[in-house]
Amino acid sequence: MTTALAARPAPGTQRNAGVLRRVGGLRHTSPGRLQLLIALLVGLGLLSGLLAGVTGSSARAGTDDLGDRAQPLLVESEAIYAALADADTTAAQAFLAGGLEPVALTRRYDADLERATTALTSAARRTPADGRAAEAVRTLSAGVAQYSALVATARANNRQGLPVGVSYLSEASRLNRDTLQPQARELFRGAQNEVEDGYSAAGAAGWMALLLLSLLALLIALVLTQRYLSRRTNRTFNVPLLAATALTLVFTIGTIAILAVQQAHLDRAAGQGSGPMASISESRLLTLQARGDEALTLAARAGSGPYEEDFATVQARLTQSGGPMVNQYGALDSQLGRTMDRAAKQFRQYATIHKDVRALDDNGEYDKAVALAIGPETSKVFDELRSDLDAALENRKAFFTAEIESAGSGLGLLTVLGPLLALGVCAFAYAGLRARLEEYR
Amino acid sequence: MRIRAVLAVAALAATTALAACSGDTGPLSTTATQPRTDAVGQAPPAAKKAAPACNPRASLRPEPGGLPSPGDMPAGSYMRTIQERGRLVLGTSQDTLLFSSRNPFTGQIEGFDVDMGRQIAEAIFGDPGKLQIKVIAYDKRVSSAADGSVDIVADTMTANCERWQDVLFSSIYYEAGQKVLVSKTSTAKSIEDLGGKKVCSAAGSTSIENVAKVKTKPIPVAKAVFGDCLVAFQRNEVDGISTDDTILAGMAAQDPYAKVIGDRFTDEPYAMAISKEHPEFARFVNAVLERNRADGTWKKTYERWLGDFGAAPSPPKAQYDK
Repeated sequence: MTTALAARPAPGTQRNAGVLRRVGGLRHTSPGRLQLLIALLVGLGLLSGLLAGVTGSSARAGTDDLGDRAQPLLVESEAIYAALADADTTAAQAFLAGGLEPVALTRRYDADLERATTALTSAARRTPADGRAAEAVRTLSAGVAQYSALVATARANNRQGLPVGVSYLSEASRLNRDTLQPQARELFRGAQNEVEDGYSAAGAAGWMALLLLSLLALLIALVLTQRYLSRRTNRTFNVPLLAATALTLVFTIGTIAILAVQQAHLDRAAGQGSGPMASISESRLLTLQARGDEALTLAARAGSGPYEEDFATVQARLTQSGGPMVNQYGALDSQLGRTMDRAAKQFRQYATIHKDVRALDDNGEYDKAVALAIGPETSKVFDELRSDLDAALENRKAFFTAEIESAGSGLGLLTVLGPLLALGVCAFAYAGLRARLEEYR
Repeated sequence: MRIRAVLAVAALAATTALAACSGDTGPLSTTATQPRTDAVGQAPPAAKKAAPACNPRASLRPEPGGLPSPGDMPAGSYMRTIQERGRLVLGTSQDTLLFSSRNPFTGQIEGFDVDMGRQIAEAIFGDPGKLQIKVIAYDKRVSSAADGSVDIVADTMTANCERWQDVLFSSIYYEAGQKVLVSKTSTAKSIEDLGGKKVCSAAGSTSIENVAKVKTKPIPVAKAVFGDCLVAFQRNEVDGISTDDTILAGMAAQDPYAKVIGDRFTDEPYAMAISKEHPEFARFVNAVLERNRADGTWKKTYERWLGDFGAAPSPPKAQYDK
C-alpha cells in the first residue's frame, strides 16, 4: 500500500503529510531504501505501461479518425462541390442546346445531383452534430432539394415550349452559384481544417513525449539502482535487474521505432497524399468553373462579360507552372505525373477552342459559337480532361489510404505489448530488489 | 506538413478569389451585377435631373429623297459603318414573350421587337438575317445605346423626356400601357387594390417607377428581368406583376392561374433608342418605319406576334419636331 502511495505526487493535506513523513523516514535505513527503490521502479514501470497503452490507443484513434472520417469527409465535400458546379454547367449547356435537352446532358445532370446527394448523406454522418460544418450540410441538403425542384420546373415548362422555363433555370443557377456553392466551399474548407487537426491528433505528440520521458526515467532509475546495489553489495550484477534493463531498452527502442514509422507514414500521407489531393481537387473545380463560365457567357448573350474575365483568371491559374495543375506530380508517382501532364495539355487544348468560341461570338456568329462550345469535339476534350483529373484524384486517394493504414499498423502492437513489457520490467525489478530485501529479514 | 499547409492556403486563396469574381447571375439573366436580393420597398432611383417638358413621341424627320438602296449606304454615314461591319447589333432582352424572347424549341430570340431590328437590317443590307442580338439588362438600355455598345435598342422601351436627354428615339412603333397581373383568385380590380402588397417589375423600367407612384402604396419589388418576375409570382414571393399590357399578356399566356386586370393606367409609347452621335441613323430608322407603316409590313408584324389579342390597330402615327 505504501509503495503505491509513494509513487503518487503528494496532495498537501495534513494526514498525507504524516504518511509522507513516514515514507520519507524510510530512507534512513537500508531496507527502507530498498523498499523505496522497489516502489520507484515498479511505479515508473507501471506508469510507462499505462502511458504506452494510452499513447498507442490515442494515436490509433487519431489515425483511424483521420483515415476513416476526416479524409473521407474532405473527399465527400469536394465531391459535393464539384457535383454542384458540374450540375450548374450541365444545366446551362442543356439550355444552350435549345429544344429538348440532349439525353447525355440530362443523364449527366442527374448523375451530378445523385452524387451530390449521396456525398451529402455520408458527409452528414461524418460531421459532429453542431458546428459550422453541420450547419453547411443542413443548408446544402435543403438547398439541393430546392435546386432540383427549380430545375424540374424549368424542364416541365421547357417541354411545353414556355419561355418561363428559362427564367426558372436562371433562378436555379443563381441558387446554385450564390448559396449552394459557397456553402460547399465552407464545408470543404472546414474539412481541410479537420484533416490538418487530424494529423496532429494522429501524431499524439503530447502522450508520446510523456511516454518517452517516463521510459527514460525508468532506464535512469534502473541504472542508478544497479550502481547503488553493486556499491552496497559485492555482486557486480543483479541478473533480474539486468533483465529489467534489457526489457526496458527493448521497450524504448521498439516504441521509438513504431512511432518513427508512424510519423514517417503520416508525413508521407500528408505531403504526398492530402497535399496533392487538395491541389488536384482545386484543378478539377477550376476546370469545371471555366466550362461553366463559358456556358454562362453564351447563355447571357451579352458578349464577353464578367464570366469571361473569370475564365481568364482560371486559365492563368491552371496554366501557371507551380500551380494546382502544372506541378511536380511526376516526382511523386510517374503514372500520376503522366496523367496530370495529359490533363494540362488537354486544358490548353480546351482553352484554344474556347478562344475560337469567343472570337465567333464576338464577331456576331452566335449560333456557330454555341455549336462549337457544346459540340462533340469540345465535349470530348473536356470529358477526357475530367476523367484524367478523376483518375489523378483516385491515384492519390489510394496512396493516402495505404499510408494511413501503414501508419496505424504498429500502434496496436504498442497498445498491447507496451503494458505487457512494462509488467515484465516491474516483475524483474521487484524480483531483483526483493532478493536484497530478504537479506535483512 | 509544410507542403500541405501551403497548398491548402493556395487552394483557399484561389477559391476565395474566384468566389469574389463569379458574378451573381443565373445563366440566363442578362446582367452580371444584379442585386441578389429583391429590392423590396426600395423606391426606384430618383431621376438624376428633372427632365424639361417635351413631346416624347416627336422624333427626327426622315431625309427627303427616300431611303438609300440596301447595300449602298451613303458614305460617311453611320449606316455605312454598320454595312462595312457586316451586321447590325441590336440590344434587346431574351425573356419578354412576344417582343423578344427565346424560342425554347429553336433557341432563337424572336418577337415584335426583334422583327423591328430585322427590318432595319434588311433596309441596310437587303438581308434581315444580318443581325447580331446582344442581350442587355433593362437598366442598361439607355447606356448601351448611348455608349455605342449596341447600334440600336428595341426592347419594349418607353420614349420619355428623361431618356430623351441621353439618347435619340425613333418615332413610336407601338403604343402600350401599364396594367397589372394577379392570381386568378384575387379580388383586386386595379393596381390601387394592391396597397401594401408586393408588386414585381423589372429594375430600370418605367413600370417600376409607376408602381411606386400609385397612391395606395403597393410595395415595388425589382427583379433584373421580367422572366424573374413571373418565377417570383408563381412561387408566391410577390402578389402581382405590373408592366405593359403586352408583356403581361405574354405572361398570362404561360400561366392559366394568372389574369390581367384593370385599364391601362399609363401610356407607354415604344420607340427604338439610338446614340445621340448618329442623328442620320435615327432619320434613316424613321424612314424605314414610315415605309413599313405604309406598305403593311407593320400590320403583318403585329398580326404575327400580337394577333391573338384581336385585329391589328392602325400603326401609331409618326410625329416629328426636329
